[in-house]
Amino acid sequence: MKKISSKLLAFAVSGILALSSVGCGGTPKAPEEPAAKAAEASSDNAAKEEAPAATPTEEKVKLNVWHLWTTDADANAKSFMKVLEQYKAEHPNVEIEIDATENEAYKTKIKTAMAANEGPDVFFSWGAGFAQPFVDAGQILPIEEYLTPEQKANLLPSQTANLTYNDKLYGLPFVSWVGILYCNKEMFEQNNIKVPDTYEELLAAVEGFNAKGIVPFSVGAKDGWPLMFFQNVLALRTAGAEGSNAALEKKVPFKQPEFVQSAQMLTDLVKAKAFDEASLAFTYDEAKVAFLNGEVPMFYIGSWFAGEVQDDKISLVKDKVVAKNFPSLAGTKGNKDEFLGGAIDCFMVNNNTKHKEAAAEFAAYVSEHMAKESFLLGAGLPAWKVDTTGETIDPLVQQMVDLANGSTGFVLAWDTKLSGEAAEKHKTLVQEVFAGTKTAEQFADEMDALK
Amino acid sequence: MDKVFSDKKAIFLFVFPAFLVFFMIIIVPIFFSAYYSTLDWNGIGEPTFIGIKNYIDLFVNNTDGFTMAIKNSFLVAFFSVFVQVPLALILAIVISKGIKGEGFFRTVYFIPVIISTTVIGQLWMKVYQPKYGMLNKLLDILNLDFLQRNWLATPETALGSAFFVIIWQYIGYHMLLLYSGIKAIPTTIYEAAEVDGASNFQKAMRITIPLIAPMIKVCVTFALIGSLKTFDLIYVLTKGGPIHSTEVPTTLMFSSIFLQNKYGYGSSMAIFIIVECLIFTVFIQKFFKAENITY
Repeated sequence: MKKISSKLLAFAVSGILALSSVGCGGTPKAPEEPAAKAAEASSDNAAKEEAPAATPTEEKVKLNVWHLWTTDADANAKSFMKVLEQYKAEHPNVEIEIDATENEAYKTKIKTAMAANEGPDVFFSWGAGFAQPFVDAGQILPIEEYLTPEQKANLLPSQTANLTYNDKLYGLPFVSWVGILYCNKEMFEQNNIKVPDTYEELLAAVEGFNAKGIVPFSVGAKDGWPLMFFQNVLALRTAGAEGSNAALEKKVPFKQPEFVQSAQMLTDLVKAKAFDEASLAFTYDEAKVAFLNGEVPMFYIGSWFAGEVQDDKISLVKDKVVAKNFPSLAGTKGNKDEFLGGAIDCFMVNNNTKHKEAAAEFAAYVSEHMAKESFLLGAGLPAWKVDTTGETIDPLVQQMVDLANGSTGFVLAWDTKLSGEAAEKHKTLVQEVFAGTKTAEQFADEMDALK
Repeated sequence: MDKVFSDKKAIFLFVFPAFLVFFMIIIVPIFFSAYYSTLDWNGIGEPTFIGIKNYIDLFVNNTDGFTMAIKNSFLVAFFSVFVQVPLALILAIVISKGIKGEGFFRTVYFIPVIISTTVIGQLWMKVYQPKYGMLNKLLDILNLDFLQRNWLATPETALGSAFFVIIWQYIGYHMLLLYSGIKAIPTTIYEAAEVDGASNFQKAMRITIPLIAPMIKVCVTFALIGSLKTFDLIYVLTKGGPIHSTEVPTTLMFSSIFLQNKYGYGSSMAIFIIVECLIFTVFIQKFFKAENITY
């Protein structure tokens, strides 16, 4: 009897183990099934699904939305939250599930999810090189046909170039950014230094601040891209917007005096001690804090940063900052009214979503309304026609609007214009130029060697 | 019970579930990675089969400094095995001798192991911070200003600075393993040695170390394998920078796959790391094959 019972026990236990392990072994596969089903369903049932969504009946729709605004201080985060509340109030039948991930981690996460066909219904993305693989794989919904005529009329055609692939619109922008030289007016005045308009004045300012023991520029070179901005904008000055874009589109080589000069000027800035020697150990977040604390007089970054400058909870320099375009350079192809920047941030809709109509409507609604809200909060310039009568525009934002309204050309940050491998190599090359391990000629040669 | 253990069906029933889990989540992905490593694939679009071209790019036509990354990981491994484990052994022997506050020291040395690596990384980033960091401030107070460096910003110091943290963090882990091994040695052996007039040093060399040799083997294996696949601390502290001076194979793998969209190439790195770890494990097993000593 005892033997039988112990045997029975053994079988029972192993049975339970086997069952539970089957459960475990199955889990890695489990998420794929609904995704696959969703893919089938979306193609088969597209027509069926669209019908109820088109007429806003009370059918419950659930949308997964991913974005990258993890800090509440971020202007786009504030405007997104506001627009989301509005949307929810107007669309009680749509349930929105939000998932926010920090910038660098977000890039990894969205790529992995899209590769596994588990992407969200609507997601924040970048245009140009970043979304190219998604579009090539047919994972993004061409969104134009889902826009209402009013929306089509309101979307500024000049802002969609980076989101258009094969003549089709795949993403909806909300704001465009421009590269801005933020100058701490107070520090300039205290040290009797002129806020630079020309490159000579910039060099004079660098020298002047160094003489007072103040580091002139703050840059998060560890992250790569903030440092890359300097080379990019220098190239914009030496080669002009047209020249830069032509080289980035592989129409002309980088091995030209203009691009060699752009790298050489960065080296010269380093030699002139324009940057902290330890910049390669600072992230963007650390670098911006130095500026927000009023320790460093100059910071060159996108217009999205204005919101943080004017937020007195995190900034000690509110209302002490003037916005400038990067100083002009005499005797080159570049023009002083050209900007680094463009509309690249956008919302995209997953082609495999179950609710194409609702997802596209959500993306359009949020993009259009965020254009206004983000603009008012200083995140950038609206990519849609917005009506701002009766709204108070922050003075720093107004300065940027005035600057950008007079712009004659744009070049995107090179890492968004290039894709994947080339973008990473480019950032490394700029870091190497910064550290002095690559010469300006090597920089140009290796830029040409990129795929 | 004996009957159950000699029953083939029972053995199968007991082993199969665990084997199935192991197979599904370890073995199968390895084979998938091996397959991916023969592809030219951006992770999303259509892959093309390119044979061993990824491996040729890795070792022959290399452009991203993979061999330097391997060298760096070997350096970590060297310091782990020849600095970290011996230090852990000394600490374990000292605190297991019943010194005052044994529990306190054991806990203190173990704390870095419990703290999340990200937190450790952030902590040390602040220690190394050139302006207000503790290390440069300390050098300032000691009038050793000439030793001050931009620790994580210059390629010459970044590697050493990152390695120091890796070594430091896991000393407590090895110490605890060795400590538990020492505590399992019967006290009667030590008492007998004391009667014979053995010194503390002799007791450590002749009794403790030989008896915990299996545990030392475990520590050396963990230290070696752990350092070959080290990733998290490097990623948090330097992200492989400045200008790739602190890259290890895992950080390069991460950047190939997730930043540069080269799934096939990244997978070939993963396969290399697996093979490398297997070879070293076999090597350690051979090296420590000496007979089990008991008294």
